[in-house]
Amino acid sequence: MSQSTAISDIRRDLVALLPRLRRFALTLAASAGEADDLVREVCARAIQKSHHWKGEGRIESWLFSMMRTVCADARKKRKTDALAQAARGSAAVGETDKQTNPLFSMQEGLASAFLLGEVEGFSYKEASVILGISSEDFARRLCAARLQLAALGVETAERRA
Amino acid sequence: MPMSQPSPLQQRLSAYQDGETSEQDRNETEALLVNDPQARAHQDGLKRGCEFGRRIFEDLLKEPVPLELVRTIKNAPLPRRAVRLPQAPRASAAFRPTGPQALAACLIVAALSGAIGYMVGANPAGPAAASLTAAPDKRDWLDEVVASYKLYERQPKHVAEIGPDNKSDILEWLTTNTGVSFRIPDLSESGLSFAGARLVMAQSHPLGILLYKRADGDGDVVAITFTKTGADMGKPIEDIRSDTSLVSWSTALATYVVVGPSSAADLDDIAAKVAGVI
Repeated sequence: MSQSTAISDIRRDLVALLPRLRRFALTLAASAGEADDLVREVCARAIQKSHHWKGEGRIESWLFSMMRTVCADARKKRKTDALAQAARGSAAVGETDKQTNPLFSMQEGLASAFLLGEVEGFSYKEASVILGISSEDFARRLCAARLQLAALGVETAERRA
Repeated sequence: MPMSQPSPLQQRLSAYQDGETSEQDRNETEALLVNDPQARAHQDGLKRGCEFGRRIFEDLLKEPVPLELVRTIKNAPLPRRAVRLPQAPRASAAFRPTGPQALAACLIVAALSGAIGYMVGANPAGPAAASLTAAPDKRDWLDEVVASYKLYERQPKHVAEIGPDNKSDILEWLTTNTGVSFRIPDLSESGLSFAGARLVMAQSHPLGILLYKRADGDGDVVAITFTKTGADMGKPIEDIRSDTSLVSWSTALATYVVVGPSSAADLDDIAAKVAGVI
């Protein structure tokens, strides 16, 4: 994809990146439905702010960073809303999703660190900027994610056996 | 799931695995891995975690993306941007008649008014004034351009009458028939490859069409159309008609329209490029 194309046709880029955007959203959200809402919101914002994207670096960096911010804002907003009702609703969805996706049973912040560092290939510096944390915190989270995934792998293998 | 608190050794091994250590740390870690079985066990654990995690994330990419999400993105309106397109030169509006010219104009107006009054008075049962004006044609020139585009963009095997390899033939053929001299723009920077040309009629005027295909293989066709005697559109127009986007502009010599699918977010950029080189 040439840079000029990336600048001029962001909708095309977003559609191409949708599976990866959705995957990152799943590491931040509490359920698959919430992840889809997050992707929808980020894509809408990216289209409206497409003139901010100057074609320098990876567009995923910009989109992932925006997604983390949108997710954090949505969580703050939810906390101020009817807490008891929201907690009941999200817990019910969370249990269903935990059964189908092991990511939802990981401690908050670990899955996204693993995805950025191990799968998406971002350096510690780039990934820590995306997640809005220090490089040291990112290194700690990535290591913890690896250990937790190793334990999950053992659990899964035992369950199958 | 209990929280996995990594030890300093595990963190060190994790960073070593990512190449995020200083040279001294790397040397020390390598020595540790040779001499310390516990360090090797930790490293194996980290690697197992990586393998399991990678499998989970690779599987996530195989999940179908909600179609509604794709549709929402493709149809999302883009923020308006100013694109500079040429405009047809306008005739000078300054009109400063001399004394004799003003007098002659007054006399002509007086004579015409008298003649019309006499004719109306002499033939009161004449045709109704409304019938003297033709009914407006609701299907305008741009609709015909869009209709031609929609017909040919759906012919993947027969998009063009003359293929992209015969550029000199296309230049001679369309210049002779439309009366517009032009160049075939290179739009490869916009991801478009030239696919050939057509000649059609739009509102009784020959219309040259240069056809381009998206190089990324999703089959989108973008057309540059031009005519010498097309409707005078004055200001550049950006519009969407029948799921088709169009950007048109006029110069002193011709009227141009760039046509593409409504999902083509870069049509205004393409039009600006075409206006600069055609």
